[in-house]
Amino acid sequence: MRDRVFFRGLAAEATICSYCGYCRSVCPTYEDVGWESCSPRGRIHLIRMLLEGTSLTADHMTRLYQCTLCGHCSQVCSTYIDLRQFWLDARTQTVTRDLAPPGLAATRDHILATGNIYGYQNDERAGWVEYMDDPPDNFYQRDRASIVYFVGCLSSFSPSVQRIAESLVRVLDAAGLDFTILGDGEVCCGYPLLAAGMQDEAQQLIAKNLASVRASRATTIVFNCPACRVMWLDEYAPHLPDVRLLHATELLAELTAARRLPLKADHRIVTYHDPCDLGRNGGVFDAPREVLKAIPGLSLVEVHERRERGLCCGGGGDLEMTDAALCEHVATRTMRKLAATGAGTVVTACPQCVRMLTRGGTQITQDVTVQDILELVAELLDI
Amino acid sequence: MPLTHHVDIPPDRVTGDEIERTMYARDLAYVPACMVTPFFETLPDAVIRPGTAEQVANVLRQAVREGMPVTPRAGASTSYYNVVPVRGGWVLDVNDLRGGIDVDTTRQTVQVLPATTWHELDDALQQKGFAVKSYPSSAVSATVGGWVCMQGQGIGSLRFGGVGAQLTGLEVVLPDGRGDVRMLTRDSDPPLEWFVAAEGTLGVITGVELTVRPYPAAESHHLFALNDLDSLGRSIASLSRAEPRPFTVFFADSGYLRLLARAGFETPYVLPHAPFPVSEQGLLMVSFQGARSEVIRGKDVLHRIDGYELPSDLALDEWNLRLYHLRIKRAGPSLLAAEVWLPIAELSRYLGSVKTLAERTRLLIGTYGFAIAPDMALVMSLYPTDERHTIKYLAALGFTARLHNLAARCGGRPYGVGLWNTAYLSRLFSRKDLAELRRRKARLDPSGIMNPGKLYRPPFLLRPLMFRPGAALLGAAHPALGREWS
Repeated sequence: MRDRVFFRGLAAEATICSYCGYCRSVCPTYEDVGWESCSPRGRIHLIRMLLEGTSLTADHMTRLYQCTLCGHCSQVCSTYIDLRQFWLDARTQTVTRDLAPPGLAATRDHILATGNIYGYQNDERAGWVEYMDDPPDNFYQRDRASIVYFVGCLSSFSPSVQRIAESLVRVLDAAGLDFTILGDGEVCCGYPLLAAGMQDEAQQLIAKNLASVRASRATTIVFNCPACRVMWLDEYAPHLPDVRLLHATELLAELTAARRLPLKADHRIVTYHDPCDLGRNGGVFDAPREVLKAIPGLSLVEVHERRERGLCCGGGGDLEMTDAALCEHVATRTMRKLAATGAGTVVTACPQCVRMLTRGGTQITQDVTVQDILELVAELLDI
Repeated sequence: MPLTHHVDIPPDRVTGDEIERTMYARDLAYVPACMVTPFFETLPDAVIRPGTAEQVANVLRQAVREGMPVTPRAGASTSYYNVVPVRGGWVLDVNDLRGGIDVDTTRQTVQVLPATTWHELDDALQQKGFAVKSYPSSAVSATVGGWVCMQGQGIGSLRFGGVGAQLTGLEVVLPDGRGDVRMLTRDSDPPLEWFVAAEGTLGVITGVELTVRPYPAAESHHLFALNDLDSLGRSIASLSRAEPRPFTVFFADSGYLRLLARAGFETPYVLPHAPFPVSEQGLLMVSFQGARSEVIRGKDVLHRIDGYELPSDLALDEWNLRLYHLRIKRAGPSLLAAEVWLPIAELSRYLGSVKTLAERTRLLIGTYGFAIAPDMALVMSLYPTDERHTIKYLAALGFTARLHNLAARCGGRPYGVGLWNTAYLSRLFSRKDLAELRRRKARLDPSGIMNPGKLYRPPFLLRPLMFRPGAALLGAAHPALGREWS
């Protein structure tokens, strides 16, 4: 992560943009779409036109949403613009002018109505616990605990990644930690709304989650979803000054360093995919690697594009909601590069990356499996 | 108008959408509409994105038949409208001609598609144990083909020469109506040298072959603060001829450091234990790369520098920021610049002239550059402004001519021509050289469709009788109008 980026507002930064095109050469969606308007500098130009009063249509503004908010553009920007903030503000302007992709309004409506991105009954949020083999009597829900595990919508509701949530509670149990999940006291963190440009609408979700966490008296909140963690760091942290906000890999790194997680040997060759919101946007690169190194016998082969230069799975920034095909193209290209390492397993640390890369994996010839690091660790618990 | 329905290219690679076309009507430099719209047709009629050399050939064949202007464009990281159409027509966005990196380890050459950036190429070479010999200070976005078109000189040129010295082959499509994909060498007819600095006016480059070097086993970077401009000039002159030759010599004056500070970046060059205020005069960075013995011997020449060596971590920071000089644009929000070739022997005099101009006009002007040959430097003088204030920005644009004039008095000439520097054609080329360039253009592009309006002749607006008094008038107003950004 860069130690410093700047944001003086959309109009100022759109003028400061040097139009150098550094962003263009790293943008994962521009690489697929190919038109200048889909490059980050093209999108900045589009916003400049919008702010200067050019008549633009929702079709034109689609370009702004053909972006995964992966943050790579911000990493290389020659004028150090905080482009993640720029895109979020630009999307807010787009929503204000009623030019956002129409599907996002429906997403907003059902998130606000139900408290989750799937539009399911939110009291089914902890339903995954019921399908575990040996759930505890309290179903991991306690009034008070020192750690709150904020599960997130994906791991709560999406059958393809619910096993990640199961894995984390097994690991926390194995380490003997005092933790709870929030059940229907948890609602969507608000990130999908923030990413859509609907920051104001996210506030009621933030208020509800804050109330649940405060009631638990927790001093640590742990996330398996990097996007939830980034959202909490950006929007919730000022309200929780004494609470640690950790990605699960950070907690696991602490536990493995303290030898509190005995792990069986595994002789697979794996590669690690840095999720954008955990690495570039979240600043966590070492913790997952420390966890992998703590697994006896495991071989980690790194992909060339890693850490700050990590690849994008295609699933961020609401892209899956607005352009699923583009999402899949990005995922396929990333899987191709990950598979080229020769590893049989791609390990990552994000439920959305698991979903996207698994989907991308179906489009390549190599037989590579995708696994969340929490699943891997839970599988290898030696207890 | 009928777009490109006769062109044999997939329809999803062509657009006539007005907003999309607008994206292709500018480059790095913002130029107010009042200076563009009445005189030039910068909005292309269509943008075409060929995916193969054969598709490029199809487009050029059709363009010749229709007499349609074609402007090739890749990274678009230049600022003289080199890749912006001035007579409408088709913009050929060649960015899909990217990658295809094939290293010949025996010959130590690499074949690469032209829209590959220098950063991508160097990164790919590194994985195979090789490195590019020189690269632009905008390597993250500047493309291999684009730098060939611009007679690329930059980091590493002092040690290995510019891109022209590295070229061993070029694949091109000529606008001669046949549309063949041709492989050019130094001995072919035409020779590949014709395309170096031709700025896309002779044809479209669809492949490049370059020499490369083994990945350097060692490197070292050294940063010095200089107490006066004469010391800076003398030190650069001496280092640029030293053996072993440094990989690069970078320098910046105190104005550049002030611009950095104004842009919001810490300039860690004011050190409590330094013998003088380091930021007062200038900086010099010397880098060596190569075999360990060469790098170790390189340190022996550092005594030639008449300055104070700063800590090695600062030198490494400066090296790591070598592709990020544009960060000073935050001092703007806009930035204008004059980029010139300058004899190293005249460097101190030029820097002194700029300093005097800055003091007399009370404007903030920063200068940085690289030694690119034993006797030549590439120098950029920049000053902040704000394009949102059109009148003031026009005056600021005129001020660029004053910097070019200072450089000319020191034997300097502009780097790159495009549209805007055609105002300085007489400084750039002798009559004989210009006649030769025009002869090549007439021979290879008989229909005059390739990037017309650039390089060979100034348009009416930029002819000396129009340009010189106009620029002088505007430039004279800049000190009064532009002081708020200084």
